[in-house]
Amino acid sequence: MNTTRMGSEKVFHYVALTVMILIAIYCITPFILMLSVSFSSEEAISKFGYRFWPSKFSTAAYSFLWAKRLTIGRCYLLTILVTTAGTLTNLVLTSLFAYPLSRKDFKARNVLAFVVFFTCMFNGGLTASYIVWTRIFHVKDTIWALILPGGLMGAMNVLLVRNYYSASIPYAIIEAARMDGAGELRIYSKIMVPLSKPVLATVGLFAAVGYWNNWTNGLYYITNSKLYTIQVYLQKLMNNITFLKTSSNMAEQAMLANLDLPTEGARMAIAIIAILPILMVYPFIQKELIKGLVVGSVKG
Amino acid sequence: MTETRPAAEENDIRQYENLLKKRRKNRWTDIRHQIPLYLMILPGMIYLTCNNYLPLFGILIAFKKVNFSIGIFKSPWVGFDNFKYLFATKDAWIMIRNTLLYNLTWIALGLVIALAIALFMSEIADRKIAKIIQPVICFPFMISAVILSYIVYGFLSVTNGYLNSVILDKPINWYMSAKYWPLILTIVHFWQVSGQSSIVYMASIGGIDKSLYEVARIDGARKLQQIWHITLPLLRHMIILMLLLSIGSIFNSDFGLFYQVTLNSGMLYSTTQTIDTYVYRALLEMNNVGMSSAASVFQAIIGFLLVLLSNAVVRKFDKDSALF
Repeated sequence: MNTTRMGSEKVFHYVALTVMILIAIYCITPFILMLSVSFSSEEAISKFGYRFWPSKFSTAAYSFLWAKRLTIGRCYLLTILVTTAGTLTNLVLTSLFAYPLSRKDFKARNVLAFVVFFTCMFNGGLTASYIVWTRIFHVKDTIWALILPGGLMGAMNVLLVRNYYSASIPYAIIEAARMDGAGELRIYSKIMVPLSKPVLATVGLFAAVGYWNNWTNGLYYITNSKLYTIQVYLQKLMNNITFLKTSSNMAEQAMLANLDLPTEGARMAIAIIAILPILMVYPFIQKELIKGLVVGSVKG
Repeated sequence: MTETRPAAEENDIRQYENLLKKRRKNRWTDIRHQIPLYLMILPGMIYLTCNNYLPLFGILIAFKKVNFSIGIFKSPWVGFDNFKYLFATKDAWIMIRNTLLYNLTWIALGLVIALAIALFMSEIADRKIAKIIQPVICFPFMISAVILSYIVYGFLSVTNGYLNSVILDKPINWYMSAKYWPLILTIVHFWQVSGQSSIVYMASIGGIDKSLYEVARIDGARKLQQIWHITLPLLRHMIILMLLLSIGSIFNSDFGLFYQVTLNSGMLYSTTQTIDTYVYRALLEMNNVGMSSAASVFQAIIGFLLVLLSNAVVRKFDKDSALF
């Protein structure tokens, strides 16, 4: 009896281990295919198709990206700019909004908390917000279209930060600071923000990943190729591979015309360099992200 | 005696009035003190107004025949005509059917997968390798739908895709064959979200008192019996909460998955059109604001009612888990 129980626990343990290792491999495999394609020579691709190991190794795709660095670099820089600006603004708006909501003596806190919360339950939908952003604010084909619609301040994040403020920072600290003559803005910037670094890190990371990955704003609002972020560029490229051969820069265009185009590989190479920043910071941020997921999905 | 009483009363009244005045003054100073707090709210409030509350008025568009040349305000009201036209089309039923079927299947399947991964991960949590597996299985959640579409294309591309060039003898034109897509999208969806969706359950399992298992072990319970009789019952509240939350969004779909991963292929609409992709296509590809807003408003209102409904059910069942 005892041995079968021990046996069953052992079996379960090794089944669990095996299954999880297999799932982990399953999650990585597709990325290896992409990487392999980006390092395959164009003839090898047209002869053998996409393989998990390049049948003929080549860095042509990456040298092609280097030749096209003006266009790609521009998309890249724009993505970095939008991500930075969006994330910072998001953090400021979110924490500024959350602080008064966390104050028990703030009269309008319940009304305002509802105003925030209501936005997660009900929204006007894409059509309405598209019309508001294009007809009232005229963001179409401006850099604002990449920053403003949708992701600047999320209701769930506001409530998350508010909960953190009210649960982890004692009101006595705020009162003491006020006795010493500190104004609200000072309390916010010198006490609340420094003390809430962990939660702000989580919110900021989510916002940053969101902005880096955002392609729908580009799809809805951007037609000017000078305002393509890397994701939008990739999105257009998937539909139209000839797009690779064009450039808005004359010199670059002239050079591209003379190049033998490793289109298939180059496409995957751009996708690889679009994941790269996330891949590089992921090991350092994954703990925060996972913590955030737990808190965020359990309670708003 | 009789004369002092009114005087005392008068005194009381005066004191009371003073108190009131003071309090009023306090209140005034309170609000004045709180002006900085209101100012801090202001930027966020402006954003919410632009991004979330102004579009609420946009719901009215669904009841108008919009003509941008005369402006939205002057456009004539048409009542429920847009909805009538929408539901008269075959598209309406296809997109509602698809949205619901994908969601229902994925909610059920997703629960099983998330629970299984959570159980397995907690089992091996003490091993060093778990610290590698955990981030790896969550990583697909970090990539955008555009990157996802490249990955899927790597497997399904007609000319070079891995499946056609290596696995299959007879190539299949995947992006033209609608019948494969329910399966493809299911695989892609779970590849992307499985790791991430198990985290909540993993956290709950981590919170279970270990001594319960000790007792069960002494009673001779096997591993599966322990899971069935201890772990799952203790996860019940979390499971029900997650289920109800997902039912609240049963009319929503992942736009990126259904639009970009399918490469917006028109041949696939019968199995890949959802309400979200329809709203987009009607608005920006067919320039049919009426239909688009009708579908969008339909989705928003049903979604709202479902959120209220599921919350009411949670409240009845378990007050602490209710969202509001």
